[in-house]
Amino acid sequence: MASFKPTKIQVYPKLGEKVTQDTLYWKNYKAPVQIKEFGAVTSIDFSPVTPHNFAVTAFTRIHIYGPFSQEPVKSFTRFKDTAYCGRFRSDGQLLVAGCEDSVVRLFDVSGKVALRLFKGHTKAVHLTDFTSDRYQILTGSDDYTCRLWDIPNATELTTYTEHTDYIRCGVTSKLNRDLFITGSYDHTVKLFDARVEKSVITMDHGQPVESVLLYPSEGLLVSAGGRHVKVWDLLKGGQPLVSLKNHHKTVTSLALSSNGQRLLSASLDRHVKVYNTTNYKVVHNFDYAASILSLGLAPDDASIVVGMTNSILSIKHRKNQEDSKEIAGQQRRRPSYRVFVKGKNYVPKQDDYLVSKPVKEHLAKYDKQLQRFNVSKALDTALGTYIRFRKPEITVAVIKELDRRGTLKNALAGRDERGLSQLLNFIIGNLVDARFTPVLVTAAEMILDIYQSVIGQSPVVDRQLLRLQDLVKREIEFQKDLLEVLGMLDTMFASSLPRKEVPCSGIATLDWV
Amino acid sequence: TKRVGGAGTNASEMAADGGSSSLQLPCVFSPKSRQFLALCAQDGRLRIWNTDSKTLHQEYVPSAHLSATCTCIAWGPCRTVKEGPQRKKRKSEAVQVEEKADLLAMGTAAGTVLIYSTAKGALHCTLDGAHSGGVNCVQWHPEESLLYSGSDDTNIVEWDLQTGKTRSKWKADHAAVTSLCVSPDGKLLLSAGHIIKMWDLDTKEVYRKFTGHSTAVTTLRFATTRPPDSNGLYFLSGAAHDRLLSVWQVREDGKDKNSVVSFTLTDEPQHIDLVTSNSKEEAVRLAVVCKDGQLHLFEHFLNGPCKKPLSPSCTVQMSDTKESPIPIPLLAAVLGADTRTVMLAYGSHLQPVMEKVEINTAERHVCLTRDVQTTLSLSMETTVSKVKTPIVNAKSKVLVPGLPGHKAPLKGTSQGSEKRKKDTDTKEMSIAERLGEIDLSTVSEKGASKGTASLTTDNFAVLLVQGLESNDASILNKVFQTRKEMVIKKTVARLPLSAVLPLVEEVTYTFVLSYRAALMVRWLKAVLMHHTSYLASLPDLVTQLGVLYHMIESRVKMFHKLTKLDGKLYLLMTQVSANICSVVHSIISFNLTSQELSLSHKERMSLSSPHFCSYTPGSCEAVKTQAEKFECCF
Repeated sequence: MASFKPTKIQVYPKLGEKVTQDTLYWKNYKAPVQIKEFGAVTSIDFSPVTPHNFAVTAFTRIHIYGPFSQEPVKSFTRFKDTAYCGRFRSDGQLLVAGCEDSVVRLFDVSGKVALRLFKGHTKAVHLTDFTSDRYQILTGSDDYTCRLWDIPNATELTTYTEHTDYIRCGVTSKLNRDLFITGSYDHTVKLFDARVEKSVITMDHGQPVESVLLYPSEGLLVSAGGRHVKVWDLLKGGQPLVSLKNHHKTVTSLALSSNGQRLLSASLDRHVKVYNTTNYKVVHNFDYAASILSLGLAPDDASIVVGMTNSILSIKHRKNQEDSKEIAGQQRRRPSYRVFVKGKNYVPKQDDYLVSKPVKEHLAKYDKQLQRFNVSKALDTALGTYIRFRKPEITVAVIKELDRRGTLKNALAGRDERGLSQLLNFIIGNLVDARFTPVLVTAAEMILDIYQSVIGQSPVVDRQLLRLQDLVKREIEFQKDLLEVLGMLDTMFASSLPRKEVPCSGIATLDWV
Repeated sequence: TKRVGGAGTNASEMAADGGSSSLQLPCVFSPKSRQFLALCAQDGRLRIWNTDSKTLHQEYVPSAHLSATCTCIAWGPCRTVKEGPQRKKRKSEAVQVEEKADLLAMGTAAGTVLIYSTAKGALHCTLDGAHSGGVNCVQWHPEESLLYSGSDDTNIVEWDLQTGKTRSKWKADHAAVTSLCVSPDGKLLLSAGHIIKMWDLDTKEVYRKFTGHSTAVTTLRFATTRPPDSNGLYFLSGAAHDRLLSVWQVREDGKDKNSVVSFTLTDEPQHIDLVTSNSKEEAVRLAVVCKDGQLHLFEHFLNGPCKKPLSPSCTVQMSDTKESPIPIPLLAAVLGADTRTVMLAYGSHLQPVMEKVEINTAERHVCLTRDVQTTLSLSMETTVSKVKTPIVNAKSKVLVPGLPGHKAPLKGTSQGSEKRKKDTDTKEMSIAERLGEIDLSTVSEKGASKGTASLTTDNFAVLLVQGLESNDASILNKVFQTRKEMVIKKTVARLPLSAVLPLVEEVTYTFVLSYRAALMVRWLKAVLMHHTSYLASLPDLVTQLGVLYHMIESRVKMFHKLTKLDGKLYLLMTQVSANICSVVHSIISFNLTSQELSLSHKERMSLSSPHFCSYTPGSCEAVKTQAEKFECCF
């Protein structure tokens, strides 16, 4: 007995953006927690020690948030004016911050009052950082100078006056206690060595530099300023490696994912872009509500923290393992694979008597009805609400199968006002979809043939037919336009290919219908 | 820490709040008779309004009114002639006024206290030299001629008004002293920064401490006049950014850690008036004007703790008489002698309107409507009795205190240079929004010249390049939604070459979504027409445009069949419309014929019945009812 062949559902390639590992990874974050700060959030810094608290500098205060706290676990408010650049020391015990009033303050993370005040700058201090030996502080100010300070006795060690404009960003080397890098509004990024009196390397960024970042290996340096993000090779003496221009406004902040594989840049154009650091292509993009001033990435990418100009701090936590386990648990409720393969690998012995048991084939409901030649019912099933809206390709496949059998007319006939309007609705909804057009046009023609004698009796159906007519008219207009475009393209291809080749013969891979 | 008072701090606070909150301007009614309303407006001038005649009684402009704004006002206690020997200095004016409050103490942001006499209409004396920060609050001693002031420099100063010197000065708190209140018997003083402290005025020692407010306390009032040792002394406190008024009980056993009662408000309290109770049987009546301009009336018996926050017994709002009413903010309210009358001050600080109102306290919400414009103009016409204005040079620039950037002179401005800070303007309009506005405005003016039109397209080109660069969906959406052929053409023409291929790619991508496709064709055509030579010169044109070509090709495959379907539909639908016409026609004819029933009915039915059957009930109900009628006739 020949077995029944189930209706073949055409699988169409999924349209739209490609889903890559990166999109999956970067989309695996929960809905953001948004916290209103007192002013624009200018800096975010994560503590290097667990539990990885982060310091948020906004207006005249620095708040320290825990990894999952929605309220600050600690706040430093002893600033006379706007605070800048709150940064943790590598042991997470001390915090340093600059201020608009030119005084640099050093705090104990558990205390409230500044341990040390570093006075000497004459203008606002936008850059503060600890050196890797933990005993010195680097500061950079709007008075064009950057200075090194000794923590224990709060004295100034060295002053560098090489920059000719505001110093707004900088970073110290984590491997060498004497190296540090500053970025300035005079368009340059300078590498300083505390053992010599002047800068070692100068790199010209081309725009006022807003942020600099060192790779963990410290061979590469990333600088952001204007609309550009530039990568420099320090080992080759500051040779430019790549220049990225993926933002349409000033890039304000940079971050590196914990394994160093991805680079993140945040900009005033409200985007955060994720770059692959091997080919420097954008692999993902986050949208935010307002211009972004600061960006922080927790270790292991556990959370993305973004501070914006509208004084909102947005924290996105990575979906944790339990959530994904839950999904896995739901899947596991099905009978396990072992149940299905049980006994399948049994090798019969010589004197075993084999009783053949036909494999029971699972058929969809419409297939069962098709098997019993209940064509009308099969079409009804295929027009069920879920299939009609979620999987129109199944409905279309059933119609196609009915057409192939030559029973489509029977299936379509004998419908009342409701059934007919449902069918027409489906056709109107999907007719212009290029994948479904051939099948649905046939069906529509048949419907007209069958019901032409009764047209005009039901206002509902009439209205739908008018809509269909309107739709077809528009589609024809559109396709006329398209044909014109095709003509143009043909001409262009012909002129671009002097050799006598059929245009597009090489790319017949994307066949749709 | 948040500090209230002092122009500089307020300015920075405003910036912190995004400019939403305005300065809290002092506004006080004179005690007892309520004859005067002293008000210090945004321009730094002190105005005293007569509440009876509703006219400006006096105006006083302190010489330093711009640099040292008045931060607080307190009316002195009512004096009678008897007090004469005690105050020799002011004996002369004390004779003139009986039972009238004539002295006003004003604290300024510069740290001085000015004593102004309404009787003289001039400054009586200046008390200075004791505060290094702005004065936040001044309070008179009810009996003796003493004045207390609290300041940003964390000190409280006791002034002797007879000598005009400080009598004592002590550090009250770690933070600024934002509020003070002297007890009715004159023995205790409440002071508050964040912590409320009760001082014994004889020894200047802390008697009690009350903690619970997290922001600066702005209001302190004693609610009862009972002595503290009977557990009957209550006071209430309100803080900045806090929508609760807390009532504290001073207990004999010292177990008064938490507030006993709290009143809920809709916003932070701005002006408070209360009628104190002297016994347990007497209720405390309270009128609170909030920052949002609403008045809340409370009535409560203070006899121990009450867990739930109390809501007002009556809320009063005021709005103008326009078609779409705008609320008029209430500035201050004082309770009258009986329970229903309330004296209200409302409108702007520059020209407040005073009015005695009877409020139906049985209703929970009362909305009064007033025509402010007319009342304002009425009061404008009246003459002002004693007004002193400084002579202002025409060239001089008038600064208004309270605007961000204006600071008290004591604060040295350390940063001289202008800073280009991109971070400062927090509410920055995105370029898309800006362009959207430009676009709208050009659409609205239909007679706009060609120059502006081309400007729009230029902007659109910039916008499109930006959108393509950063792949910003919202910008692209905005650009691609344009329906105007001209705009599309010009935009594409202005597009730099580097953006052409990304645009084609973007078009290919959006082409997939059928609802957009119709618009995208126009863009595609425009691109192909304007950049033909550039595209043709590309070596890998076929691979670049191949996908697009195939998509289009697959879409137009069914052109032939679709056109046929269209023809079919066209034919059928014209028939339908013709049919409908004929139906209407037949109904009319049927009506006509049914009226003349002289003919044989059977014949008529046999003629008309097949006609009916071919129509469903839905389409021609009229016909059906007609038919039923017809059948009834048999």
